[in-house]
Amino acid sequence: MNHRQKEEYLREYSILKNQGKPFWPYAVAKDGAMAAVVIGSIILMSIVLGAELGPKADGTTTTYVPRPEWYFFFLFELLRIIKPPELVPLATIGIPTICMILLFLLPFYDRGPERRPEKRPIATTAGIFTIVAMGYLTYLGAAAGSPNEIEMEPPPSVVAQGEQMVEQFESGKQVVAQAGCLACHKIGENGNDGPGPHLDDIGARVGRDAIARTMVNPTAPMPSYAQLQEENPERFNNLVAFLSQLKGEEEE
Amino acid sequence: MPKLKLPAPPVPPAFKPKPRRPDEHQHTAIDHAKEGGIGAIGWVDERMGASGFGRWLMFRKVPKGTNWFYTLGSATMFAFLNQAITGVFLAMYYDPNAINAYESVRYISNEAFLGEFVRGMHKWGSSVMVILIFLHMARTFFFGAYKYPRELNWVIGVALLILTMAMSFTGYLLPFDQRSYWATVVGVNINGTGPLVGPYLSDFLRAGPDFTATTLSRFYAIHMMLIPGAIAALIGAHLYLVTKHGTTAPPWMKAETDPDLRTEKE
Amino acid sequence: MPPKRKHVTKSKYTADRQIPGAFEGETITRRRFMTGGAHLGGAVATMAIVLPAAGFAFGPVFEKVDQPWNPVGPPDDFPDDTYVPAVVTLINDIGQGGKTTVYLRKRNPEIDTEPADEYNQWIALSTRCMHLGCPVRFVEASGRFICPCHGGVYGFRGEVTGGPPVRPLDRFYTRLKNGQVEVGPRYSVNSELDRFSPRDPGEPLDGVGQYLYPSRPTIRKGPNQ
Repeated sequence: MNHRQKEEYLREYSILKNQGKPFWPYAVAKDGAMAAVVIGSIILMSIVLGAELGPKADGTTTTYVPRPEWYFFFLFELLRIIKPPELVPLATIGIPTICMILLFLLPFYDRGPERRPEKRPIATTAGIFTIVAMGYLTYLGAAAGSPNEIEMEPPPSVVAQGEQMVEQFESGKQVVAQAGCLACHKIGENGNDGPGPHLDDIGARVGRDAIARTMVNPTAPMPSYAQLQEENPERFNNLVAFLSQLKGEEEE
Repeated sequence: MPKLKLPAPPVPPAFKPKPRRPDEHQHTAIDHAKEGGIGAIGWVDERMGASGFGRWLMFRKVPKGTNWFYTLGSATMFAFLNQAITGVFLAMYYDPNAINAYESVRYISNEAFLGEFVRGMHKWGSSVMVILIFLHMARTFFFGAYKYPRELNWVIGVALLILTMAMSFTGYLLPFDQRSYWATVVGVNINGTGPLVGPYLSDFLRAGPDFTATTLSRFYAIHMMLIPGAIAALIGAHLYLVTKHGTTAPPWMKAETDPDLRTEKE
Repeated sequence: MPPKRKHVTKSKYTADRQIPGAFEGETITRRRFMTGGAHLGGAVATMAIVLPAAGFAFGPVFEKVDQPWNPVGPPDDFPDDTYVPAVVTLINDIGQGGKTTVYLRKRNPEIDTEPADEYNQWIALSTRCMHLGCPVRFVEASGRFICPCHGGVYGFRGEVTGGPPVRPLDRFYTRLKNGQVEVGPRYSVNSELDRFSPRDPGEPLDGVGQYLYPSRPTIRKGPNQ
């Protein structure tokens, strides 16, 4: 903004201001109404949702699944998405710091005189993009489950094969959850995206025997489940049965 | 019967009743009581001179087109006041040490009269405050309200946003349940990944190499005094600048001026 | 029009600059002196408050912290092909918040190729994820350590096999004393399993990492000091 534009803005603004209404009581009444709505919704949330208190802090746990408060989900998800260890400082410190600096300096690099959102395409697009990106990351972070649990209903093809199959599917699901497969594989909405492939349709791509062979004799870095096969063949069979029933039907 | 009007006897001017002057009728106690409030305020104002400030703050004009979007800022401030008030009352029961903290929060939630309600207001108030601060910021951004002459106010606003996030981070540890503990471990380690200064920063936050006996009281002091003080001061500066420059008009508002003024006259 | 003041060029004596009441040999005006004095006084007063407070707040960063040796059980409790969890105390008197779980097994020369000494006859792995400190769990079926937060996976020796962790799981010194295996101070390892003084999670130790992320000055010590 050059000097003339500044003067023009100030003149325009003072005219608009003189045509406006006094702060007291017109704007104050609106503010008061809004404040009542805000405090009212806080009271309502407090009564309806209460204040949950989890189990006492315990540094010795190995089963607890930490999750942040919802407004830090975007950061949480960012840390999950950025996988290479060399980039960890970028995700933890780098990106948030850069965003903060960009935010601080906004009025110093966006100095155009135009204020209407539709006449500022870059700023408006960047703003909407930021909101959508943060909303999407928040959604992903909220949806990220524990790697020790799978939330999945037996697909119709399994149900069609009778109750025994459903039972096997369920117990195989348990084994997958407990064996930590989700640390490297993704099944539906559960688990991590990599380093292993998605298992949504593994049963459609690979035969049952091939799955069993891979489990016993995998390519590194996947661990071998040969020990499980020896010591507990039933669990191993359930595991293989579960995987071979994953045919990618859920997405349809 | 016509009213007989006797001429008034001649009285020397010095004995004539004087016409009542406007400020002369308050002789009864009721009259005094009625004026008491004004009198007290007048007394204070005579010694403080604050009425000028009050007029400056309240009797300014807001521009034409001001709408409900402009209430988000004050709503954020009310959410902060809610946090401050409920926080003070929670502090009456809370015990910031690693052994008793959880018990004291459990006491607040389960036993203290209205305890869960007040704690719920504090807990959900923080979420509401974060939402409002983002909405307020989005309004400022899309209306271009951070531009000349309000740049400095935007900078103060961003500082307030960061302090609010720091509030939620430090407050998160205080109930001392599993969620608090591990979120804090992760949060402190996030600070620690900054090269060179990071390790010292996380040692400072924890007061030691691991979660120690004074970590909790450190977070409590930061949550309860350091940051709220800074936030209150910055809100003051923010409001001062808002009042000084005035709230923006919506960007699509154009001043209606007489078109004749723009045409040249002979 | 006021008479043009004769500009005396930069004499350092106030008397030469025709300042009223200047003393002979004086080089600084009284106003200037008082301004400097006010600044100095303010600075001294501020520092007198800030420095002790800051020292107080930052003191614990440089405080020496002793980590006790925790007996965890007789040597026979720990096989060499799987891990057994044991709870050790890092900080006394703060309850469960000051404790942590370690995974212990006997050293197995076929797997453990790092040089043996008296402090690693039992391998004790920390349960803090080296990404950002979440609690990892040893999964028996796959022989992996799995972090529930951001997808870190570690192999049987604690080496990173997937996800964002920046270095293998931290370890603890172990020793045998009075018929008990004891777990002592923590140390960090790089991807070659070389020992380093303990670092926080998220701080890589390969390459320049160990210089970018210095350890606390007071815990750069071995197990026997």
